[in-house]
Amino acid sequence: MKKLYFVMALVIIASMMLTACGAPAAPVATEAPAATEAPAMTEAPVAATEAPVATEAPSTDCTSPDVFCVGVVTDVGKVDDKSFNQSAWEGVQKSKDDGVADIIQYIETTDAKDYAKNISQFGDAGYDVIVTVGFGLGEATAAAAALYPDVRFIGVDQFQAADVAGVTGLNFPEDNAGFLVGALAAQMSKSAHIGGVFATDLVPPVWRFGEGYRAGALYINPNIKIDVVYHNDVGFDKTFTDPEWAANAANAMVDGGADVIFAGGGKTGNGAVVAAAQRGIYAIGVDTDQYFTLPEAAPRILSSAMKLIVPGVATLIASAKDGSIKDGNFMGDAGYAPFHDLDGEVSAEVKAKMEEIAAGLLDGSIKTNVAPVKP
Amino acid sequence: MDWKRFGFIALIITALFTAVVMVGQSQQRPLMIITSMLATTIAVATPLTLGALAGVFCERSGVVNIGIEGMMLSSAFFGWFTAMYLFNVYHWSLMACIVTGTIVAIFFGGLMGVLLAWLSVTFKVDQIIGGTVINILAVGLTGFLNRQLFFGKTSLFEGTVPSSPGVFSAIHLPITEIFAPLCKGGNLCLENMSAINRVFDQKPIAWAAIILVFISHYVLFHTRWGLRTRAVGEHPRAADTVGINVERMRYANVIIGGMLAGLAGAYFTIESIPSFEPLMTNGRGFISLAAMIFGNWTPIGAWAAALVFGSSQALQINMQIFRDAIPPQWAFLQQSYVVGLTPYILTMLILTGIIGKTTPPAADGVPYEK
Repeated sequence: MKKLYFVMALVIIASMMLTACGAPAAPVATEAPAATEAPAMTEAPVAATEAPVATEAPSTDCTSPDVFCVGVVTDVGKVDDKSFNQSAWEGVQKSKDDGVADIIQYIETTDAKDYAKNISQFGDAGYDVIVTVGFGLGEATAAAAALYPDVRFIGVDQFQAADVAGVTGLNFPEDNAGFLVGALAAQMSKSAHIGGVFATDLVPPVWRFGEGYRAGALYINPNIKIDVVYHNDVGFDKTFTDPEWAANAANAMVDGGADVIFAGGGKTGNGAVVAAAQRGIYAIGVDTDQYFTLPEAAPRILSSAMKLIVPGVATLIASAKDGSIKDGNFMGDAGYAPFHDLDGEVSAEVKAKMEEIAAGLLDGSIKTNVAPVKP
Repeated sequence: MDWKRFGFIALIITALFTAVVMVGQSQQRPLMIITSMLATTIAVATPLTLGALAGVFCERSGVVNIGIEGMMLSSAFFGWFTAMYLFNVYHWSLMACIVTGTIVAIFFGGLMGVLLAWLSVTFKVDQIIGGTVINILAVGLTGFLNRQLFFGKTSLFEGTVPSSPGVFSAIHLPITEIFAPLCKGGNLCLENMSAINRVFDQKPIAWAAIILVFISHYVLFHTRWGLRTRAVGEHPRAADTVGINVERMRYANVIIGGMLAGLAGAYFTIESIPSFEPLMTNGRGFISLAAMIFGNWTPIGAWAAALVFGSSQALQINMQIFRDAIPPQWAFLQQSYVVGLTPYILTMLILTGIIGKTTPPAADGVPYEK
């Protein structure tokens, strides 16, 4: 029996270690060092969380006013999701490259219950700016702002209905980006039948992408057939990480005759983009220029509905450092990505029309009429 | 054969299809809707069927396997990684890469099966814990490797995820070509025929899953091997008394189960989409277990149950596609979480015994001590 316990212990320890390394678990009960205990800070948050996600270990003291520290708390999902978590992290990395931030660090959330705990990891360690990524962290961010009045919070995709002291919401006009690619899809479709596959519409940015897409397509062709499908039948924990579901949804649309597919929503969306590319139709990515993040689909990626998260986050961090940042909402930029490999298939008229629409959306002469959240 | 159960399942699938046809017929011809839904159903059911077969083999021999999810996930990763690596580093041809990837996935599933059998048969560990170990191990291992190999500038491919070779393409059965003369040139008839043809144009793993259902049925109920497997799962002491090596039978069946789960894993990354995402199996291993119970621990029953789950997924997708055609009095159907609940409600109905009791093998989950 001794041997058995040894083997079991070994297997369990190994699996826990791997879990901790690969999918850093929510920080387990930690003794948050009190802010006055400066010496303890050197081992602060990472060592305590058993989550060695650090790309650089904090070797200096974040409580010191000379050291500018920026922490990122991701939504459920990974910092390598090829989508919004990754973009936010890249924005923070950019601010370090620009010499704005001295120490950067991230914590990946694995369970929505841990939002507050993860934020306080950084708050207790004396970070100057905490970037919380995703709509889901909105409430936890507002609560943490009251707890850590000296910290500046940047909430990506967190619309501030009322100003909260210490919180700046970084939002994007996703409906404009969706509108643009919807107009593009409608112009490029030969069958006058297009599709969209999205994660849950209960997350407002996803809803704005989806309905913006619909509005943009109808703007070009009021009689076009648009299939829009949301993955609402599972919880928030799964709706962004289900590429296989999205691939099946995209295939069903292609079977029905759709010849352009726009997909949005983390890894779920990636599945539909890749599936559409496999079927040889036009695929449209989301958030970043997915031509670069989804090589499997790159040759068929017509464009991507982009939220310029990287510059948005970097700009806000810089203004947090020089003190010019304000509470409330900060509107980032949205747009559509270049056509890359398919540039030759997009006619000059379509390109001109796209620029006209982009200009119209910017000066307000074209409106998407999409509600900020699902009514 | 459990006709009451199959009748109930057929009724449910028909009801789900009918609902969509009634809603969508103003926009698309019923035949087109049905064929498209059938194609989706079969695709969605593929990993569930294979996972449920994995469960049937393990549990019929008396080993509870809740590690199917983990087996699928790790096989999905290693199969995909092999195919991708061979393609980008050794420049093998597409077919060679993905076939090798599939074999590696099956092998890796088998390896996970060995681990489960080792824990639960040799060491007689509580089988639920053994399965949980596999699930945690798979999440950790794949997430860790995915991170180490592809993320960050110091990783294997300098931070980029290299492009994957691709996925299996569908096997085209020449139904349209053979039966076209029957149409006598009628366009509508030809169109219908190619729509029907599309249902049968499934990919290799989807076909393999269907064929394996019948092979498993034959093996379990019509061969000496199957009889011994079931004996070991029902009454291991009796089996031991007549000279059957209980440990060896359990090892073999758990490894077979692992290989089936491995093939299910290959479906995700080699047949459905050519990329790996952490946690991409998303609980399908557990739905497979539900399908296995739903199907009363028989291969054909489990397949039928997997088709129910598949068709409720097809319903959920198609109801949204036909969103604009939903009549106002049925507006609740626009709430996709309403239809999303279908499989779970069905499982609960089954568990309440509405269509007869489900009986697990008597020695399921009980380690055998001589």
